[in-house]
Amino acid sequence: MLTPNAVCETASLSLSEGLDVLLSRKLDKLSPGQILEIRSDDASIEHDLRAWARLTAHPWRGMRTENGRFVCFIERGAAQRIITSNSISATDGELHARRMVVEAAGRIPPAAEPETGFSPRGAVVEKGSPRFPFDVVDSAQAWNPEASDFYEQASSAQWNAATDIPWNAMSVACIDPESERCICQLMTFLAENEFAALYVPAKWIPRIHPHFVETILFLSTQIRDEARHIDVFVKRALVNGGGLQFSSASTQRSLKTLLDREDFLEASFLLSVLGEGTFLDLLRFIEVHAPDPVTAEIARRTRIDEARHVHFALTHMKHAVASDGALKRKLFAAARERASALAEVKTINPLVEESLVILAAGGLRPDNLPKGVRAVRNLYATMHENRMKRLQLIGFSPSDSENLSHSHTPNFM
Amino acid sequence: MPKKITVGAVAYDPKVVTIWELINDFFRAREIPNDYVLFSNYEAQVDALLSGAIDIAWNTNLAYVRVHRRTNGLCKVLAMRDTDVAFTTVIIAGTNTGIATLGDLKGKRFAIGSRDSGQAAILPVYFLRNNGIDSERDIHTIRFDLDVGKHGDTGTSEAAVHEAITRGEADAGAVGDQYWARVLAEGRVDRGKVKAIWTSPPYCHCNFTVLDKRYGKDLEQWTDVLLQMDYNDPAHRQIMEMEGLKRWVRPELAGYKPLFEAVEVLGYFNQSA
Repeated sequence: MLTPNAVCETASLSLSEGLDVLLSRKLDKLSPGQILEIRSDDASIEHDLRAWARLTAHPWRGMRTENGRFVCFIERGAAQRIITSNSISATDGELHARRMVVEAAGRIPPAAEPETGFSPRGAVVEKGSPRFPFDVVDSAQAWNPEASDFYEQASSAQWNAATDIPWNAMSVACIDPESERCICQLMTFLAENEFAALYVPAKWIPRIHPHFVETILFLSTQIRDEARHIDVFVKRALVNGGGLQFSSASTQRSLKTLLDREDFLEASFLLSVLGEGTFLDLLRFIEVHAPDPVTAEIARRTRIDEARHVHFALTHMKHAVASDGALKRKLFAAARERASALAEVKTINPLVEESLVILAAGGLRPDNLPKGVRAVRNLYATMHENRMKRLQLIGFSPSDSENLSHSHTPNFM
Repeated sequence: MPKKITVGAVAYDPKVVTIWELINDFFRAREIPNDYVLFSNYEAQVDALLSGAIDIAWNTNLAYVRVHRRTNGLCKVLAMRDTDVAFTTVIIAGTNTGIATLGDLKGKRFAIGSRDSGQAAILPVYFLRNNGIDSERDIHTIRFDLDVGKHGDTGTSEAAVHEAITRGEADAGAVGDQYWARVLAEGRVDRGKVKAIWTSPPYCHCNFTVLDKRYGKDLEQWTDVLLQMDYNDPAHRQIMEMEGLKRWVRPELAGYKPLFEAVEVLGYFNQSA
């Protein structure tokens, strides 16, 4: 008589009602050669189970009747349902196994395997999965220890472009047409830059290995932020009937170099440290000089989001620079290369610069214009100083920082 | 350059092309120049094996029996699937027909599959006869001669048998155990209407057949390589899933005895050859 290694009570459950699920779970826990006893009240069980056992390659070991019940025996076959080398069983209730499972989810691989595909980090992955085209697979490039905190911050700081901006205040604000045109021009410029800030992380997400999930999640919030910014800038340009204004070829050329960059760290450095970093001062300027509370609130809220992107990138760069001695040189070269590619871009879109002057001057009155010009000059100086601070934070020398900041695109982003 | 080895197979489904392309890749990666030729029916494939147009035939049990008869036994089996060993036929019956044993089938409408299907026609008729039920005299036989030439490979005649019982157009019928297990697992059996009442003695199904005069070192090596295919190796799993096996095994010729007897007793080749 066979001695079973496990017993399965099935009442009169049949194969079309889930018996196969029950049996598969029981058989998974047995080793090849071990015996599963199945006790059933279903008179058809012998025929059904015999056929099923053969289909699933578990040897049928016979049936006997016992007090009117049917007792069947199946031997666990050698075929694995899922091919893995990892023997951790998720159903194992032992504490140490649980800890192993939890630790596996938190373990950051120095170099991630392309074969693990979209499986979440820590999952047991079946062999034979297809290779994915991820090419950012080193943790030094793709991950930083604060990424998950940044993601938490970003998640709780989300706002709504339709309901969190005091659009009603627009109707009572009295803005002269010239200032309104300036705002519309600035909103056009901001929106086009934010498209770049959306497309660049969007381009990199499919290339970063999913095991660096903290970075992926943060970048997805960055994309969400930029979507909201594009929305709110366009809304502001349209709300008073002014409409979208001019987009210059030099701006487009400058932004395209960010999208064209084929290295994740270089692209993040150029976009977020230098570009979005510079935008913080621009947005602060617009907030201070805004002729209406709606524009001021838009500039304030978008600046807070952008500051998060800049801080994330700074943290990411510091971490990457610490693990790769040659990285600073690479980033420096990338920034210089971009500067030479943009050599013909000498100034910002003149309509944007004029709009900033007029905004700070409060209009086109000749006696006020010098104030506006001074304010814009100060803005540029502030942008330069802050860029240098950020570059030094990453570890660039004061002279390299000076050099890089000076060669930064006049387009700001 | 070793001589090419050409395997014949019957294209009972479009997936057969994919299967044999994968098998080609598998053999060629092991420096065996495998190729395949597809046939629309087993009779044409048997003729090709006998004429030497192909080296190996991936045969049903009935096609193997035919080769055996036509060569007076001067043929060999190289290998088969684990699922070809201990194949059985399951007799299924309408739940409300009162049929619980083979004896209850007398006088009832009994559905069988294609006349050239080992599992759904020839063997069940033979097994019933061994159990005292003559398919001509004792029951009303309903035949589903679908896809004749494919020897039941498509499963369409088994589905027709199952369907006829579900609808009450037949009281009972015969299907292969693989068909039965699959529809059970896929939840396509209405338990209120159909149940299994009997499982036949085991018999063997498909195999790779060769002629004795063609057999040699190269085919021996071909067989050894085939047997290396491993279900637990992800690179091989796709072929094995598609072909419906977990392991290739050496032949178990005793398992063909029931079919040899069946075709003899029923005069199968006299009627339809």
